[in-house]
Amino acid sequence: MEKRDFHIVAETGIHARPATLLVQTASKYNSDINLEYKGKSVNLKSIMGVMSLGVGQGADVTVTADGADEADAINAIADTMKKEGLTE
Amino acid sequence: MDYQGLAQQVLAGVGGKSNISKVWHCATRLRFYLNDEKKADTKKIDALAGVITVVQSAGQYQVVIGNSVAKVYDALVDLAGLENTDEQPAVPAEAANKPNLINRFIGFISGVFLPFLGALAGAGILKGFLALFVALGWMTEKSGQYQIWYAAGAAIFYAFPVFLGFTAAKQLKVNQFVGASIGAALLYPSLVAAFAKGTTMHFFGIPVVPTTYTTTVIPILLSIWALSYIEPLLKKLMPEAIRNVFVPMLSLMIMVPLTLIVVGPIGALIGNALATGVMAVYHFAPIIAGIIMGAFWQVFVIFGVHWTFMPLIMNNFTKLGYDPLTPIICAAVLSQAGAAFGVFMKSRNKKMKSLAGSSALSGLFGITEPAIYGVTLKLKKPFYIAVASGAVGGAIISISGVHASSFTMPSLLSLPTFLDHGFMGEIIGLTVATVGAAMITYFFGVPDDQSSEQLKNENQPKNSNGTDEIKAPVEGTIIPLTSVKDEVFASEAMGKGLAIVPSNDEVVAPANGTISAVYPTGHALGMIDDSGAEILIHIGINTVELKGKYFKTLVKQNEHVTAGQPLVKFDREKIAAAGYDTTVMVIITNTNHYGAVEPTAATETDHNWFLKLAPKPAAAANTKGVPANV
Repeated sequence: MEKRDFHIVAETGIHARPATLLVQTASKYNSDINLEYKGKSVNLKSIMGVMSLGVGQGADVTVTADGADEADAINAIADTMKKEGLTE
Repeated sequence: MDYQGLAQQVLAGVGGKSNISKVWHCATRLRFYLNDEKKADTKKIDALAGVITVVQSAGQYQVVIGNSVAKVYDALVDLAGLENTDEQPAVPAEAANKPNLINRFIGFISGVFLPFLGALAGAGILKGFLALFVALGWMTEKSGQYQIWYAAGAAIFYAFPVFLGFTAAKQLKVNQFVGASIGAALLYPSLVAAFAKGTTMHFFGIPVVPTTYTTTVIPILLSIWALSYIEPLLKKLMPEAIRNVFVPMLSLMIMVPLTLIVVGPIGALIGNALATGVMAVYHFAPIIAGIIMGAFWQVFVIFGVHWTFMPLIMNNFTKLGYDPLTPIICAAVLSQAGAAFGVFMKSRNKKMKSLAGSSALSGLFGITEPAIYGVTLKLKKPFYIAVASGAVGGAIISISGVHASSFTMPSLLSLPTFLDHGFMGEIIGLTVATVGAAMITYFFGVPDDQSSEQLKNENQPKNSNGTDEIKAPVEGTIIPLTSVKDEVFASEAMGKGLAIVPSNDEVVAPANGTISAVYPTGHALGMIDDSGAEILIHIGINTVELKGKYFKTLVKQNEHVTAGQPLVKFDREKIAAAGYDTTVMVIITNTNHYGAVEPTAATETDHNWFLKLAPKPAAAANTKGVPANV
């Protein structure tokens, strides 16, 4: 299992647009991918799941991936986070 | 077409292998995730012979090829030395524990009946009522109204091969109309007439054994199963240009004679052996024949070999003046009705309950198909229980030596023909078979509520009436989601939906459900309705930047809301004055769980449905590796 922490710097947090892009990225991989925030864990392949966390600016979140392509998945998610300005 | 060459040019056009992050294909398009779309030469790709157009959408770079896409894809993957990711999607949990052959067969049989069960049950009841009216003397079989209504009720049974040819072809993914045509050919009037006369035709010297195919199930299923191997083969051999016409032509040319020559005789052979065997056993030890007939008559019916018993029964009447088999068959028939009644009493699944009730009723009148294919065989256990109860009932009846004095189709209405000999034994046997099957099914044969929920879900995701209707959450003018001025929403990447240009300032719950996501900024809200649809309501475009100004959320996360309940208040004028588009987007974020998300045709919001979610067809559900949703 791969695990990585992210610090969200975007002023608007993970709202609809970045959530969609993160879910699209995650859905390209077969691994089980989860997003954890404040002790709650959701499926990163579900838009509603991700949005239900209400991740705001300054939040610390953890992404875990479990499966054959877990390493690639985490890297791709990190890229998307950065590209969308969620992380630095 | 030169697929290799085309693949090479496409590969060069998208910026080479190094620019491809991932490539896969759908029915008509090569779909790329490119590391940098700017490196792709869209104009050049667009101009290639064999490329219809290029679409850039939702982060995907899509090259539309058409029907030959798979060949181009294979060539491209070969050329670029990419991993062929066109493998089977992740194995769904259901398929992982592969059911055994019998269960798969039963599943297939009940699956092919599923699409027309309602019509089948309705026609069965109609036939049952007609039989009752005749028995009560309200109608004669010669009257016009009887004959016409009988045709209305009997047609669907008569034409089983056509209906099943169609539905089985769908399940096995071959041309459905070819499937139905094969079925129709088996019922073609001149063939039916010739076979009825016992004429043996010859097909290039091969004898075609006269067989009755009306109301049969198995022959057409075997035929479509064979077609599922032959059609792909023909497709491979046939040039694309003439495929549409010549694959069906050859399929029909091959499959119809093949079915008549091979399947028919096998059925007739098995049937004849069974019929003579059972009669021989009856003379030797009636109880064994009673058990066999009571237990397996309905199995014979499924395989269509029961027809071979008809001449035997007729023969008994002419030679002996009575028939001992009809009374036994009655037990087999009524035990299915009893089992269906047990399901009717126990099931809490509305759809199953109504089907079980009506099919139990028609079963009493001797029309057991709806009960078998719609209820007992589908749930499996009730079928086995009916078989066992039928066996016990059949044993009692055979020991009592019940005689049928004249020919009837076995049902409750046959009772008067048993009055001559052993009538009490018949009553006891039938009671044991029917009431026994009903009671055992009631107590042991129906899956508990949890399983009956599952059964419900199998056909209609999380909803008892099939579709889920969602109302408009805000008043205003309805516009397509694709015309919204934000490419993420407009691309439908988040899911399908509609948008509303609001004419008031209040968002209300579009359905009963639970609030799944609220934002501190109040500009968006997610809920999961009670049928499982995930609905995202996003107020305005880029309004996240207002950081909550002009929005007031009225509900909390995890709160259960009822349709029409106010969820968010917003100040439309001030949001517009701040320079934002106030369009409200309503998106079903788990669109891929549904067969279709249908938007309303209305242009202004009203009190009718706004989005209608249709479940996936039973066969298609759970086969795609769609992302799971929380």
